[in-house]
Amino acid sequence: MLPFLLTSGITTGALYAMVAIGLVLVYRSTGHINFSHGELFMLGGFFAYTFHVTVGLNYVVAMLLAVIGSFFVGVASDRIVYRPLIKAPGLSMVLATVGFSFLMKGIGRFFWGGKGEYLSIKPIVDPAPLWIAGIPILPQQLIVLAGALACMIMFTIFFRSTLAGKMMQATAENPRAAYLVGIKVEQVYTYTWGAGAAVAGAAAVLMAPLTLLSPDVGFTLLLKAFAATILGGLGSMVGAVVGGFIVGITEALAGGYIATSLQEVSSFIIIMVVLVFRPSGLFGVYGIRRA
Amino acid sequence: MAVGLVFLATLPFHANPYLLFVGNLAMLYIVLTVGLNLLIGYTGMLAFQNAALFGVGAYGCAVLRVTLGLPYWLSLPAGGLIAMIVGVLVALPALRLTGLYLALATVAFAQFTLWVFLHWYSVTGGPAGIQMHPVDFGVLASTAEYGLYYLTMAIMLAVVALTWNLVRSRIGRAFVAIRESEVAAEALAIDLTRYKTIAYAISALYAGVAGGLFAAMLGIVVPESYDLFQVIAQFAMVVVGGIGSVWGAVIGAVGLIWVQEALRAFKEFQEIAFGGMILLTVLFLRGGAMSLIKRHIKGWDEPLRRIPRKR
Amino acid sequence: MSKLVTRNLSMTFGGLVALDGVDLDVPEGEIRGVIGPNGAGKTTLLNAITGVNQPTDGEVLLDGEVISGLKASRIAARGLARTFQTSQLFAGMTVLENVMTGLHARMGTSPLAAAFGLPSVWREEEDATEKAMSALDFVGMQQFADRDGGELSFGQQRVVEIARALVREPRVLLLDEPAVGLSMTRVSELDALLRRIREERGVTIVMIEHVIRLVMGVCDRITVLSSGRKIAEGTADEVTQNPEVIEAYLGRELDA
Repeated sequence: MLPFLLTSGITTGALYAMVAIGLVLVYRSTGHINFSHGELFMLGGFFAYTFHVTVGLNYVVAMLLAVIGSFFVGVASDRIVYRPLIKAPGLSMVLATVGFSFLMKGIGRFFWGGKGEYLSIKPIVDPAPLWIAGIPILPQQLIVLAGALACMIMFTIFFRSTLAGKMMQATAENPRAAYLVGIKVEQVYTYTWGAGAAVAGAAAVLMAPLTLLSPDVGFTLLLKAFAATILGGLGSMVGAVVGGFIVGITEALAGGYIATSLQEVSSFIIIMVVLVFRPSGLFGVYGIRRA
Repeated sequence: MAVGLVFLATLPFHANPYLLFVGNLAMLYIVLTVGLNLLIGYTGMLAFQNAALFGVGAYGCAVLRVTLGLPYWLSLPAGGLIAMIVGVLVALPALRLTGLYLALATVAFAQFTLWVFLHWYSVTGGPAGIQMHPVDFGVLASTAEYGLYYLTMAIMLAVVALTWNLVRSRIGRAFVAIRESEVAAEALAIDLTRYKTIAYAISALYAGVAGGLFAAMLGIVVPESYDLFQVIAQFAMVVVGGIGSVWGAVIGAVGLIWVQEALRAFKEFQEIAFGGMILLTVLFLRGGAMSLIKRHIKGWDEPLRRIPRKR
Repeated sequence: MSKLVTRNLSMTFGGLVALDGVDLDVPEGEIRGVIGPNGAGKTTLLNAITGVNQPTDGEVLLDGEVISGLKASRIAARGLARTFQTSQLFAGMTVLENVMTGLHARMGTSPLAAAFGLPSVWREEEDATEKAMSALDFVGMQQFADRDGGELSFGQQRVVEIARALVREPRVLLLDEPAVGLSMTRVSELDALLRRIREERGVTIVMIEHVIRLVMGVCDRITVLSSGRKIAEGTADEVTQNPEVIEAYLGRELDA
């Protein structure tokens, strides 16, 4: 059973890592936790459903369109929520993102809910497991892993090598200095929100064939991403990725060996344990930012 | 205000059962939002546990009454106390950290509590919940509905009065000082953890007591009453009514309960309405309805002290 | 008699040395100025003394008792009051309520007593209102008592902040650039106010300041910091003639 649990843990972990990346990306550049981040994931999944199942487009095309759609929802978050409140107290920002998340959830339920509340995308690859070294692996799991890795590599390249990525880094580290050297800080924020949303959308598109989509899925994913983020030390990208995998694997193991229902709460347990024993996260590099 | 009180007190005599139910619900939500507002409005802490603790109070009260056979007048405050203890125990590690951690910890806690309600069959009865027989008020009221209505009203009035007193003292000023600047509050010898815990404990107690009332009102305690949507409804009431104002919380609860009832059959529209209202209020009218009242009613003042200043 | 003493006070932030073994000895009743170029560690010194950041090494003594290592609120309760470089007046309270908040530790109302509005609470509130008004009177701001903190001008906020600190009857008052952004007339008023605080209230004052006119005029002695170290100490004349001080200022930007 262990190999099976590990592969499924790694697969979900990769998705959690992707959602967490977006969360951290926005946190690093703005200092705010986007409580509507999970809904970006939800909408991404529904976009894919619409393009692929309803409209009947090819999966890859639908996937790209869904990611682009998520990007624009992210940009809208920046314009509607973040930018008007940039100077407001942190509490207002959290309230606004919480409100926005329910607004999106309601919209998601209005357009895609109701049909038993759940939608599914047919597996696009053969659902029969491949046996690799005696371990059963679903082809879709491989696609998810490959997709997640590709995303992470693209992100690393983006930050290390492209001008836009470097601008984002610079803005995150010191917005004032970035502004002084001529970086259009506001534009960078917009792209940051968009990019964070796009990764969440991509995660949703990858996951959709493996599971069911519901308007409430966003919040569940947000919790996992929180756990990953806190585990990795709020604000660390690498930490979020590692944290995502740890959460995914822990969940799979707890679900497999102790009780299935434990899957749902392991993120809570992780969050509390980290808060009590090591609030700066496993790596403890990034200090606790004064809210 | 006197008119409102008379209206409330006589509502059972001229309203139909549904209206009575909504009136009762509104008063119960006043208890919830006044407490929540103490936390987010006065002390500036963002926490998502209020719905979960509302549930802990409801389950606590129901379990004590149904399973252990305690009378309602004992199980109701006991439910409140349980909610307070559970809430403080969970929040304590996070209260020592910055606000963001409290938000994250309480979001997780809210989800965990819901999970416990669903899965701890032997105590909570799982998804089917706990049935509770009507409370017998004996000679005090002719029916359980009337009795509960007046009990809720008495508790609501007490909560508003006590909280109104509390914020006009050094305690209320300490809360607001923490909201405005933690560093400055500490420099004035205000112990952050102590006062955050006090605000948190009071809101948890109120939520727990409201839970016990809610359990008796519905006659059944089921998990889905205490999910995250419940938090959003309460956030919306606090924010739309007026964050950081006892009376704003009252206005928000009474006003928005009608929105919730009107949209009862449509979850998506409830979500859109409450989410949208929070967003719009934060964006365009940060003080909520209360800021309009402050602007347009001359002499309206919500001081943080008791003694009117002599000139 | 030494009022406030720091011994070998040091602070490092992730390898960056912000304070490097600073010794300070402020006698009772003195007005001490702390100057130094930007980044010299002046505000860090204040934060280390008041417990906002825990010093990495060394100790702080108030009236001979060690206060370093305590929580900031405990240190404040021992009788250390401070103001901040950027005004920290509570914008959501009236000026009077701001000053009454300063009395927090000198009041004893418990949450229960407050909720039930016991007579003792009324008496204490009355007393607090009176004390706060007299503190506002002392700094000449009583006519603003009912205004919201956020409505005041920058200079007015700073003065109310001083009243909020004074009402606590502190043993030592620490001021972080109280004159920054004030007009010349305002600086003269501040100068007079500081002297009155010492004369009439007997409060020892430690003041970080850039406005050299104020420092030179009002301070008994001046401590000069540079790169986290104390490089000079003495009267205004002594300090301005110290070659190391001149070097520190000329080598960096001239901002004092």
